[in-house]
Amino acid sequence: MLKTSSFSPTQPRRAETRLFPYFVLGSSKSSTYSSGEEVPGSSGWASENCYASGFDSPAALLDERFEHPAYSGRTRMRHITTGQCTETEFFCSLRVPVKRETLPVKNRGRRVWVASSLLLVVVLSQSWVPVFAQSDAEKTTLSPPQDLRVFDTPSDGGGSLTVLWSLASYDSAATKYQILLSEGSTVSDPAAMKVVAEFPSNQRYVRESKWPWWTRPATRDQHQFTLRNGRGIELNDGTVYNITVAAVQNDDRLIATPVQATPQPNWMNWNQMNNLLLALLFGGIVFYAIGTARKREIFLRRIPGLDAVDEAIGRATELGKPILYLTGAHDMSDPSTIAAAVILGRVAKRTAAYETDLLVPHRDPITMAVCQEITKQAYLEAGKPDLYKEDSNFFITSDQFSYTAAVDGIMLRKKPAANFFMGHYFAEALLLTETGASTGAIQIAGTDADHQLPFFVTTCDYTLIGEELYAASAYLSREPVQVGTLRGQDIGKALILGVLGIGTVLATLGVMLDAQWPQLFLDVFKDVK
Amino acid sequence: MIFLRRQVPLLITLITGIVFAAQYYVPHPASEQMLTSVTKWLQIIGGFALVLGVSSLFHVHAVKIRRKEAGWGYSFVLYVSMVGTIAVGLWSNGKEAVDGTMTAFGWIYNFMMVPLQGTMFAILAFFIASAAYRSFRARSREAAVLLIAAVIVMMGRVPLGEYLIPISGDLSQWILNVLNASVRRAILIGVSLGTIALSIKIIFGLERSYLGGGKE
Amino acid sequence: MSFSERMLKIDRRIIFLVIGVCTLLPLLYPVGLPIKISNEVRGVYDHIESLPEGSVFLLSLDFDPASKPELQPQAISLLRHAFKKNLRVVAMTLWVSGTGLADQIITQVAREMGKESGKDYVFLGWSPGGTAVIINMGQDLYGAFPADYNGKPTKGLPVLQHVANLRDVNYAVSLGAGRPGVEEWYVFGRDKYKFELGGGCTGVMAPGLYPLLRSGQINGLIGGLRGAAEYETLMDQKGRAIAGMDAQSATHLAIIVLVIMCNLFYFSSRNRTRLQGQSGAH
Repeated sequence: MLKTSSFSPTQPRRAETRLFPYFVLGSSKSSTYSSGEEVPGSSGWASENCYASGFDSPAALLDERFEHPAYSGRTRMRHITTGQCTETEFFCSLRVPVKRETLPVKNRGRRVWVASSLLLVVVLSQSWVPVFAQSDAEKTTLSPPQDLRVFDTPSDGGGSLTVLWSLASYDSAATKYQILLSEGSTVSDPAAMKVVAEFPSNQRYVRESKWPWWTRPATRDQHQFTLRNGRGIELNDGTVYNITVAAVQNDDRLIATPVQATPQPNWMNWNQMNNLLLALLFGGIVFYAIGTARKREIFLRRIPGLDAVDEAIGRATELGKPILYLTGAHDMSDPSTIAAAVILGRVAKRTAAYETDLLVPHRDPITMAVCQEITKQAYLEAGKPDLYKEDSNFFITSDQFSYTAAVDGIMLRKKPAANFFMGHYFAEALLLTETGASTGAIQIAGTDADHQLPFFVTTCDYTLIGEELYAASAYLSREPVQVGTLRGQDIGKALILGVLGIGTVLATLGVMLDAQWPQLFLDVFKDVK
Repeated sequence: MIFLRRQVPLLITLITGIVFAAQYYVPHPASEQMLTSVTKWLQIIGGFALVLGVSSLFHVHAVKIRRKEAGWGYSFVLYVSMVGTIAVGLWSNGKEAVDGTMTAFGWIYNFMMVPLQGTMFAILAFFIASAAYRSFRARSREAAVLLIAAVIVMMGRVPLGEYLIPISGDLSQWILNVLNASVRRAILIGVSLGTIALSIKIIFGLERSYLGGGKE
Repeated sequence: MSFSERMLKIDRRIIFLVIGVCTLLPLLYPVGLPIKISNEVRGVYDHIESLPEGSVFLLSLDFDPASKPELQPQAISLLRHAFKKNLRVVAMTLWVSGTGLADQIITQVAREMGKESGKDYVFLGWSPGGTAVIINMGQDLYGAFPADYNGKPTKGLPVLQHVANLRDVNYAVSLGAGRPGVEEWYVFGRDKYKFELGGGCTGVMAPGLYPLLRSGQINGLIGGLRGAAEYETLMDQKGRAIAGMDAQSATHLAIIVLVIMCNLFYFSSRNRTRLQGQSGAH
């Protein structure tokens, strides 16, 4: 559809040249072609992710009315994509109106009618272009691929060469490109070189390789092919190879001048620099937060689950029954186990003060050793070292269901009044909590195992979800390292949230305005491999 | 002694942590070769860890049997089963079947281990039902939402549910693909940041609990 | 105690009995309702369908006997599909307790499809190290597994021709019941060595893997017994998964009825308590 121009052809024009933007918005067709797929018969001017329509901008028809046209000839196409299907496409051109004399109303009306009819014909004829474009492509003269460049693929482990060459007017499904390879520094006959790849000439572009903007070797619409060692191709590091590209159409084959290149391994993967910088940034934030926590007190809101912990211990004491505490399935290198061990310290201190029995069965010997020390220390701090029992922390087995069966047996025999499930759990979660619930115990859980959360939430009286577990342990211990880490993580999350928000806005703007500059920001947070 | 128990492991952790974090960004074959060597060492150490696990189990239960502590009978059964299985496994060369014929080890595996493990997992189905009956009550608005979502997903994931309420299939897919995926992603981001932070602390020696023992 | 209160405190064993009957009866008297195919399962199926003959298909059976009911049907369907397409199957496991089970599954399906070990498929067995095994395979498959499960040297096996490491694998599927599983295969395998990856898992783990599926990190997901049943439907081969769907349907319906009943009793009991409180106040 044509948007109404900002001036009316029926109105007398002013004598002076007026500069103002004149946008002509035209849509060809809605398309459900998937990203990267070509419309049959399209030629040249391939757009970002889709296809070229090969038609002239309707504004170009009005060229004679303007001076300094911003574009002449074909208008570059940009397409809106959602990554899955293309949608309606838009294009725009900028025109500057010229000084002209006023025309009689009658003649102006006729000219407008003629111009509108021509525009309508052009718009309607778009649907015929693919039909004719194919035959047009066939009649286009074949020429050797231009601007051929071959170099060692950057940021890789070697054994790979990248080939780049410019678009050609004959690029279509009917024409093919061949990649030719030979070893050695001289080539007697390029036509005798080995063909290592062949593909339609409307494929293989720089944009398909997902280079980030800081390492992209050429403009996105150039052709690119990467030769890799293996699967019939032998590329040895340090060996000189000759590579060229041939354009093939029916019986014609034109070969570009071969270029020499040597594959080499690289010491740095520059494509992932964004990843490294972000990791270093996050590490820096964590260290900064820990440093701040060492100098001054950082506020942490009270975790509601900790009140439930105190209540559960109090209840067990009233009933005169023991407390059961589990530290999860993982070993001490897991953050959830570390958090569980810290919370055990607090629980142990309370049980020491109230002289309640504490049972802590373990799945891992090292965790058991650590928790033994923590429990001992807690009893010492509570002023009841004589009440500490060495076998309150005991090792059962590392096997999942054997451990579960043993703990279920302890629950049914000893009937603890309070059960604590802190740490990471797998399928045994429900077996443990349901058995505990059947004994009437109050149950508090804290886990970062998201697939077991539903079971804990439904069977326990209180559940610390995910990072609440880490936060609870930091709150209890008040260790600067723990508190600082928590603060650092919070800052990291805030940054991620900010990036999500800004990224969404920029990506939307990029699509609406058909601009590339938002990609400068988005690429920094993209995982490029 | 402290130097060997504390400082040396911390130094090793620091150096290897930094080197292998950097290795991720170095595509050179020398870096890949180093990674290959280290992962082979990891596999060897992993094999030793199995032996350690079994021997610690032997030790713990041997002490229980010797002292005739409460529950020593179970330890005796465990001991007999472990020793018996190891003996049979060694005799059968670790193979469950040879030329299609089941070995004694295969018999223990198929007729003891498989049914026992299967039983433990199957109990979950019954426990889920009793937990659902006890807990899925619309005590509050949030609980009611949870209940409705659970019912929709339960209906949508089985053919009978889709037959009775055709829309439940699409609705449950939407809940899984949109609501569930976005929430899981959020939890994953949070947990991943926690894991990265912990790794950094372990590498730089700020977190030492994995070495065992208490504070110094 | 009123009827509602009594029903709310009902013995768990009655619920167990109801579930037991709902599981058993459909297995004895199957109904066979149609199964709708989801996009997640179709993703795996379509990708295997698209692989040309002779492509290398890696199947990692990362589960133990506890997860056998859900993951064995998945493994059987995938192997049947791969053998039907004449793909070169490389099977392995990262779980030591699942080695015997994995060997049984592969041997059974291979015999059924007339495939020969060493020529059409190989079972590499188990190697200690978990994720280290994946990294090792990515560098050098023969280094990670110098011999297959039967002790035959892997170098020189026809099925592993032109396969040096994970980069030469055309498609890998991990059937995971926990860790190591699908996530580890992505982080330590696909992310580094750039092969296509699909996943299979137990029903309880499936929702947790949807972020990987939605972002394209895995191209398909077979979730639980339902996923296995869908795959069997796509393969047009009725197996244990389809047979189990009737039982699962009945069980789900039973749980829904129980939940609805419990809510009715709960509200009835609550109203009764409220009325009693009001009459007591008056």
